[in-house]
Amino acid sequence: MVSQLLTLVQWCSNSAPIVFIRDSKYGMPGAQSVHLVGLTVFLAAILVLDLRLAGIGMMDWSLDGLERQLKPWATGAVALVLLSGVLIFLGTPSKYLASNPFRIKMAALGLATVFHVGVVRRFVTGQPAARPRWSEIAVAAVSLTLWFLVGWAGRAIAFVP
Amino acid sequence: MSLFGWCQWLEHTPAALAIAESTWLFPLIEGSHILALPLSVGMIVIFDLRLLGLAFHSDPASRLMKEVLRWSKSGFAITFITGVLLFMTHAGKAYGNAFFRAKLLLLALLGINAVVYQTIFYPKMAEWDLASRTPLGARLCAGLSLIAWIGVIVCGRTMAYQF
Repeated sequence: MVSQLLTLVQWCSNSAPIVFIRDSKYGMPGAQSVHLVGLTVFLAAILVLDLRLAGIGMMDWSLDGLERQLKPWATGAVALVLLSGVLIFLGTPSKYLASNPFRIKMAALGLATVFHVGVVRRFVTGQPAARPRWSEIAVAAVSLTLWFLVGWAGRAIAFVP
Repeated sequence: MSLFGWCQWLEHTPAALAIAESTWLFPLIEGSHILALPLSVGMIVIFDLRLLGLAFHSDPASRLMKEVLRWSKSGFAITFITGVLLFMTHAGKAYGNAFFRAKLLLLALLGINAVVYQTIFYPKMAEWDLASRTPLGARLCAGLSLIAWIGVIVCGRTMAYQF
């Protein structure tokens, strides 16, 4: 199973579009740039939601109102981040597969996603008054910590083996 | 001393060398520079989308602006300070780099754009605060801001590949 997956990754990595991006002068900087533009918008949406949840920002808006307004943009941004992320990964898969920060990044990404879908979303769509305030602050803090851990671990790939 | 000479001098000051040679300092400063983006640029983008009628449609634009600026100010403080420190460590190489020059030019343009918005459109915001369709000039400012900020990120990321 794992070896088949690795064969597939290797095949993708040697496919014409990836080779083109890898070998062209601005291919990888371009993919990295798209990755950053996407994360700027996506993490801003997360930040706005968590600030509101913690009760320290955007207090003129309701949580579900904020989510409604930001969701299309956050979704588009996630698409950009994932697409560029896959391209960057396939550019040099061996580098990422051997990287400890990359493993931490993927684990944090998984945790952040599960926490967002399983916990944050319930707080966003639920009854605001029914919960103690400390639980909202805690949820916002965990959410921000997990998402920014994804970012920091990503940045660490360039510096830590 | 020429500007290039000054950049080379800056790169060799004890402070610049200390950052460049430190195992943790440079990654920490660079990481902060990038991960402050959602707080600085991301918040501005949200307001640009409101002005363009693409999000927060008929919510009061002035309240969104006040709230968004409150957070983006601290974001820009981090971005600016870390940006200056990063420049110090690579000043000589950055000086002649086309992407770095383009980035500075775009930042200057964004500064002018912000001043234009503050002096021409901000004082009259009460007139169209709840309108989803904002004045053409305000939309132009927002569109320029959106495009130029994307340009800043692209130039910033690309220049690092050339050092």
